[in-house]
Amino acid sequence: MDIPKVNERWTSQINEVTIGATADQGGTRSKVITVGGQTTLPGMTFEGDIPNSPVIAGYVSDVVPEWPDFLKKAIGNEINSPTEWAQKCVQEFGCDLISLRLNGADPSGDDKSAADCAKVVENVLKAVDVPLIIWGCGDDDKDAIVLQDCSAVVKGENCLIGSAKESNYKTIVAICKADNHKIISEAPVDINIGKQVNILLQDAGYDLKDVVMFQTTAALGYGLDYVYTILERARMTGLKGDKLMAGPQLADVGGEVWRIKDAVASEEILPGWGDPERRGPSWEAACAADYLQAGADILVMSHPSAIKTIQETITQIA
Amino acid sequence: MTKPSCKVTFLPQHKVVDVEIGTPVLEAASRAGFRVKSLCGGEGTCKGCKMVIKKGKISGGVSGILRQSEIDTGVILSCLASVDSDVEIEIPSKTLFNKDAITGKAIDSFSGSELDIPEVSFNPFPVIQKVYLELDLPSLASNMADHQRICAAIKEKLGFSSIHTSLNTIRSLPELLRENKYCITATIGANCSAAELLYVEAGNTEKENYAIVVDMGTTTIVAHLVDLCSFQTMRAQACFNGQAKFGREVTARMIAAEKSGDEQLHTTLISDLNNLISGLLESSDISKNQVNAIVCAGNTPMVHFLLNIPTRNIRRTPYIPTSVEPSPVRASELGLEINERGLLYALPGISGWVGSDLTAGILATEMYKGDDIALLVDIGTNGEIIVGNKDWLMSCSASAGPSLEGSSVECGMRAEDGAIEKVFAENGEIKYETINNAAPEGFCGSGIIDIISVLLQLKIVNRSGKFIDDASPHISERDGIKAYTLVSKEESGSKEDIYISEADIENLITAKAAIFAAMKILLDRLDMTFDDVATFYLAGAFGKHINIDNAVTIGLIPNIPRERVKFVGNTSLMGSKIATLYREGFEKIKEIEENTTYYDLMGADDYVEEFQKAMFLPHTDIEIFE
Repeated sequence: MDIPKVNERWTSQINEVTIGATADQGGTRSKVITVGGQTTLPGMTFEGDIPNSPVIAGYVSDVVPEWPDFLKKAIGNEINSPTEWAQKCVQEFGCDLISLRLNGADPSGDDKSAADCAKVVENVLKAVDVPLIIWGCGDDDKDAIVLQDCSAVVKGENCLIGSAKESNYKTIVAICKADNHKIISEAPVDINIGKQVNILLQDAGYDLKDVVMFQTTAALGYGLDYVYTILERARMTGLKGDKLMAGPQLADVGGEVWRIKDAVASEEILPGWGDPERRGPSWEAACAADYLQAGADILVMSHPSAIKTIQETITQIA
Repeated sequence: MTKPSCKVTFLPQHKVVDVEIGTPVLEAASRAGFRVKSLCGGEGTCKGCKMVIKKGKISGGVSGILRQSEIDTGVILSCLASVDSDVEIEIPSKTLFNKDAITGKAIDSFSGSELDIPEVSFNPFPVIQKVYLELDLPSLASNMADHQRICAAIKEKLGFSSIHTSLNTIRSLPELLRENKYCITATIGANCSAAELLYVEAGNTEKENYAIVVDMGTTTIVAHLVDLCSFQTMRAQACFNGQAKFGREVTARMIAAEKSGDEQLHTTLISDLNNLISGLLESSDISKNQVNAIVCAGNTPMVHFLLNIPTRNIRRTPYIPTSVEPSPVRASELGLEINERGLLYALPGISGWVGSDLTAGILATEMYKGDDIALLVDIGTNGEIIVGNKDWLMSCSASAGPSLEGSSVECGMRAEDGAIEKVFAENGEIKYETINNAAPEGFCGSGIIDIISVLLQLKIVNRSGKFIDDASPHISERDGIKAYTLVSKEESGSKEDIYISEADIENLITAKAAIFAAMKILLDRLDMTFDDVATFYLAGAFGKHINIDNAVTIGLIPNIPRERVKFVGNTSLMGSKIATLYREGFEKIKEIEENTTYYDLMGADDYVEEFQKAMFLPHTDIEIFE
C-alpha cells in the first residue's frame, strides 16, 4: 500500500534580512550575514527551501556581566574588554556576528554616558569584521539617547538595532531610518503584541522587510515552552502568508541562561545536579537547540562549548 | 445617645449638612444631595470621588494613587476620608455626575426611533386593560353575584378564561356598583397565564391607562411613560443608576450586596425609579393612580436587585440566578409609587449574564423570525451578543465597562443636551456637533467613537491608542497623562476643557476588545464568520447617531458591507414597549427565553487571546478590517 504524501505546502516565504555592509555597500565589514528566506519550518527541507542557515551571535557586553566564574574563565580574560571579547568570539569561537549589549548604560547601574557607549561601539566595530547587533540597556529613556549616539557612529554599517517595543518604537524607527539600520521588534511572549509592534513600525514608515522579531527568551525551566510555541506559531503564521509576521526571529539564549540558578549553582546548593561547569553549557546548548527547532534564525550565545555544540547542530539540521 | 455632630460645608454651592463624627465624607456629600462619580464602591481605587479640603480637618482620605502635588493641595479621596470636625470641602465639578436626570424638554434628546412604538404584526393587547362596563342590573331573574357579574362581562369583552381578584377589590364592589348604577371601569392586568381584576372605578376611565416602561441599565436607567390607549410614548426620563456608588459593574454591586445586604441596592434602585416616575408625571395631568404598570427589562442582577431577591450565586460557578422569569408583583409592595393596585412586570431573561434587556432586544429586532443569520450586539456596561435566526438563538456576554455610555471617560456624559455626539475632520481640522447644538459639555458614546477614529485617521494617535508626539498642538499632559483637547474652557458649556486622554482611549479599546472578542468566539463556536451574518444589529445608548464607518475604523464592529449594519438604539426599551402593548409580544419573550442557548465565555480558553488581538485599533488582524 502506498503511503500518501502528507507534506505541508506553505504558501509564503520568510523575509530575507541582511545585516552588515561591505565596503561596496558603504560599510567596512568583510562579509555580511543574511538570515530568513525559508519556505518551510526548521529542518523540514523536504517541504521547502532553507537558503540561509541559522547563525550564532556572540554575546558581548560593555561591562562584565554577573556571571559564574567558570563561564568567565571559559571565555577568558578578554571578557574584561568588549573589543577583545568580540574578537575572541569571532576568531576562536567562530561566531557569525556580534551581539553587543550596552548594559553599562543602565541608570540604576553604571549609568555610562551615551558618548562612552558610542566609543565602545566604535571600538568593537573596528576590532571585528563581522556585522553587529547593538542593544541598549533596556531603559527606554536612556536607550533613546544612547542608541542615537551609538547608531550614528556605525552609520552605513547596516547594524541590527534592539529593540523596538510598543513603548519606544518611535525613537528606534527614527534612529534606524536616519542611519540605515535594521530593527529588532520586541514583544513579551505574546504573538499578538508582536504583530501589533510590527504594525506600529510599519505605520511609522519602517519597512517590515528590515525587521527581525524577538519574543524575549526564556531559559529551560523558566517558560521556554511558552516562548517556543510563540516562535513556532509566529513562523507558521509567516509561512501561511501573514506579511506582518514574516520576519526572521532572534533568541537571546546567552543573555538568559546564565541568570538562572539551575545553570550556575554549585553542586553544594543543588546536590545531585552534577558539575555546573558541564551543566551550565549543556543548559545553554539545550535551550539553543530548542529555539533552533522553534524557528530562531539568530541565536545569541555565550559559552564557547555551547556555541560549538550548536554549530554542529546547525550543520546537522540545515 | 447620639454621637456629637459636626458641620460639613460643600463648596462652591455652600451646601451645609450636619453629620455625626466619623461619617465618611462621601456619605456626607451624598446626604447633601450630591451625586459623586464614585465608581469603585468606596474601595479607594477609581479616583472618581476626589474632593479638596479648604478649611478644617478630616481623617484619612490620602492614598498612594493620588499624586504628591494633589496631596499637597488638599486633594482627598472622599470615600476614604471621614469627618472629624467642622470642615469646608470643595467638590470639583468633574467629581459630580453632570446632571441627575433629564428634565422637561429633554424628550427631544432621545432618539426618534426610541420614542416611536415599533411596528409589529401582533394584535394590540396591552398588559393592562381598562374596560368600561354597563352591567345589566341584577334582578330575581339575573341573580349573579356582583363579582361574577363583572368577571363575566370582562370575559365576554376581552376573552379571558380565568380572572382572579384580590379580597380587597371584592370588598369594594357592592357599594361601587350600586352607587354608580352598574356603570364602572374595570382594570385588568395580565398575571402569568391568567388575568387579575386589579380594581374597579366609577364611570368611564378607559382613557386613563398608562404604563411606565423601564430599561434598567447598569450605568443608565431610562424610563418612558406610555399611553396604553393611544399607544403613544408621552414622556421620557433618564438618570444615572444610583447603584454606581456600590460599584460600577454589577459584580462589584453583588459583592457589596453580600457585604451589607441586598436591601441597600434594592432601595437605591427603587428610589431611582420613583424619581424617574415623579419626573415623568411632573407637570403633566397624569396622576400616579393612572399608571397601572411598570414594565422593566435589565440584566439579570439588576432584575434581582429590583425584586430584592438574592444575587449571591450569580457570580459564582456555575452562575445560577435565583429566577430569570419572576411573576408579576404588586408594584406598591416594593415601594414603587404608581397605582397601589398596579403591577410590576420584570421581563424574563435567559441566564445570570444574559438578561431581559436582551430578550427584549431579540423581540424588538425580530431576529427570531428570519431565515438568515442575524447578530445583535447590545453595548452597555456589559456587551451582550445574540446570534441566530428563526430556528435557534445563541447568546453570550462580556464585561465592557461603561466607557461607551460616556461614563468612566473623564469628559464623558450621557447622550443629552450639550453632549458632543459627532466629531469629524474637515481639511485636517477637527470639528464637532453637539446634541441640540447646545454648548459642549462632554462626549457621549458616539462622540467618543468618532473622536478616536478621527484622531487615528489623522495619525494623532497610533494603533495602540497612544498619542504620537508633536502630531498636534492640542496634545498636552493632564495629571501626567497625555490628552487631546477638543474644546477649550472658553468655548465649553461647563467652563472646563473637554478632552480625551490616553487613559480614556485605553478604556474604550478595552471595552471594544471585550465585545469584539466575544462576537468572534461566539461565531467561531457556531462555525461561522462575520461574512455569514446577514444583518448586524448594533444596539446601545450611544446617542442619536452613530457613525458606522468610525465604529469600523476603531474595530468596534467588523468591516462588513454597510447595508448589513443596522443601528437600532435602545432595543431593551423598544422590546419592553412591545411586550407592554402586545400580549403576544409578551408571550413571545417567554418563548425566546426558552429557545435561546447561553454560551459562557468563562469556558472559552481562547478568549484572552482573542481579547489581546482586539486590543488594537482596529485589530491585530488588520486584514479583516481591510
